[in-house]
Amino acid sequence: MAAIENAHFTTLKGAYDTETMEATVKVRRYNPETGKSRFDTFTVTIPVTATVLDALDAIKDTCDGTLSYRKSCRMSVCGSCGMRVDGGAALACKVPMRKFVEAGHTITVSPMGNLPVIKDLVVDMAPFWDKIRAVKPFLDTKNADTPAKEWRIDPADTALIHKESLCILCGCCVSECNSMEADPEFLGPAALAKAYRFVGDARDKDTRERLRDLSGAHGIWDCTRCYFCNQRCPKGVDPRDAIAKLGAESFKEGFTSDPGAKHAKVFVDSTYKGGFLRETELVPKTIGPANAIKDIPFALQLARAGKVPNPLSPHKAKDNDEVKRLWKLLEKEAKGQPRRATAVHPDAVQEG
Amino acid sequence: MQERYAYYPGCLASLSQKELDSSTRAIAKKLEIELIEMPSVTCCGAGDIHEAKPDYYLHISARILGQAEQSGCDTILTICNVCTLNLRQANMALQADAAVLNRVNDNLKEVGAATYQGGVDVRHLLWEVSAGEGYDRFKSIAVKSLEGLKVAPFYGCQILRPAKILGFENSDRPESLERLIMACGAEPIDYPAKVKCCGFPIVLAREDVALGELVQPLEQAIDAGADVIVTPCPLCHLSLDAWQRKAAAYSGRELGIPILHLAQLLGAAAGIEESELKFKRHVTRLSPSVKAKLQVPSVVGTKV
Repeated sequence: MAAIENAHFTTLKGAYDTETMEATVKVRRYNPETGKSRFDTFTVTIPVTATVLDALDAIKDTCDGTLSYRKSCRMSVCGSCGMRVDGGAALACKVPMRKFVEAGHTITVSPMGNLPVIKDLVVDMAPFWDKIRAVKPFLDTKNADTPAKEWRIDPADTALIHKESLCILCGCCVSECNSMEADPEFLGPAALAKAYRFVGDARDKDTRERLRDLSGAHGIWDCTRCYFCNQRCPKGVDPRDAIAKLGAESFKEGFTSDPGAKHAKVFVDSTYKGGFLRETELVPKTIGPANAIKDIPFALQLARAGKVPNPLSPHKAKDNDEVKRLWKLLEKEAKGQPRRATAVHPDAVQEG
Repeated sequence: MQERYAYYPGCLASLSQKELDSSTRAIAKKLEIELIEMPSVTCCGAGDIHEAKPDYYLHISARILGQAEQSGCDTILTICNVCTLNLRQANMALQADAAVLNRVNDNLKEVGAATYQGGVDVRHLLWEVSAGEGYDRFKSIAVKSLEGLKVAPFYGCQILRPAKILGFENSDRPESLERLIMACGAEPIDYPAKVKCCGFPIVLAREDVALGELVQPLEQAIDAGADVIVTPCPLCHLSLDAWQRKAAAYSGRELGIPILHLAQLLGAAAGIEESELKFKRHVTRLSPSVKAKLQVPSVVGTKV
């Protein structure tokens, strides 16, 4: 049982007075002065209850004081210590070291992705904040009848934006966003989840303008549905689900001119008309007939492999009149409802 | 593994990716599992209907699940990642809240459709044959060793994430495809992008963004020495196979790696013939050397 020698754990020692363990951590280093990157491997003695952040603190205290990373609250609230642990973004303060040590596994800690690295594990969050700012992350009531005391909101209305309100702006979702990797201008999961937090807010009166802006270039239809954001978010915000909700809200407001929205509409119409997707309608209706004509050589490659179904005899499922009646019933029901009455939205259902 | 499944091939395997449907039926026969048809089902919505009209998505999903229940099956077998996620996601929402399920059923009743009692599971072919009894059964029918074939597994997103809806294996370090590749006697090739996105959901609406995603698995698999890529998803397959030439133009380098559906790889190891595996229906053709390693007897004059 090794004693805890470093200064950092003198306070922890009193609190935990616990067993310790030897942990080895591989850290990606970046020196902005030389522009060079390298990996350093450190071995430190830490309490068995230590997190990855505790291990980095021990490294900084006892091995290399120049190691740079962000931290503050140490309890998964401030969102400062986002970094990649074995390639996946996480809050360093939320990941226990013990399971790695017990498995004899040396973890690799590296900076978050999709953001420029400043030094070691510190990334430049400026592009992240720019996108958060771009979605107007504040309530706009348009000076509508401000109540004398306070806004009163039905708990059912706050439930609609509960998950999105949990965001701590750590950037873990952005780090892993596959669309943002290919299109750095994509607003991305954090900003879009923040946008839904206001679009879905019963007090906000800027809904139409917000949705108009969000449903254009680099907005909601850029999302490739890789679901890395939902997987990485340490707070259960599920940004991809928020993006899907923004899609549904844009449809309600009639913002359906983006190719992404047109693409979605073909799926809706296909089920109504016949059951399965009408693949041959998907291309011209999504990108427009002119662009579809430009793509004819590509379509011929597909046709040669037998991949273009006959457009004249589209698939028809049995009993599809049921689906037609269902669609009409739901559209009628939706018309009678106030815009925000989306309590039955499947994404509003929490896991059981 | 069950004896009977309600079979949900989904749109792509029924239309442009028919080779996946025929390969799946052939491998199911070898595995001695019965696939029950559901002639009245619609598209799962592919995430698009979920995004545009979430309430309609929930209802058409309940109708699909209800039809499986009516057919006396407790499991739907899927062969597409997107169908798997969409049906499982709706199923969770319906099973989690009796009030939601009751309302959906009232509406289904009103339009004369079968209702859903909540007793169906949705499982992908990959899950059924890569573990437990299904794996043993596949091992017993894998009579041909595809020795010397280097196979890069490409999982696709929606069979891994979100894990709280899918949850079959570790979503960052999956190994089901590798296990099956080895069961076929072939060699699995590792590369970082195997768990990333192929770009397909936005390939029409945002082609450049999608190609930026698509080039990663293609280039990495080739650089790692793979002969072929195998995927459990027909959307990933279409992206990797049919959009490969566009990806090559985007990245400015030669690509040309054949893409196999999971059922085709399993089928080759089980000795199923070309007439059912239908490699001719691929845009990126199999080279003679890959074909030799797959050992599929090529029948002259096989209809595409």
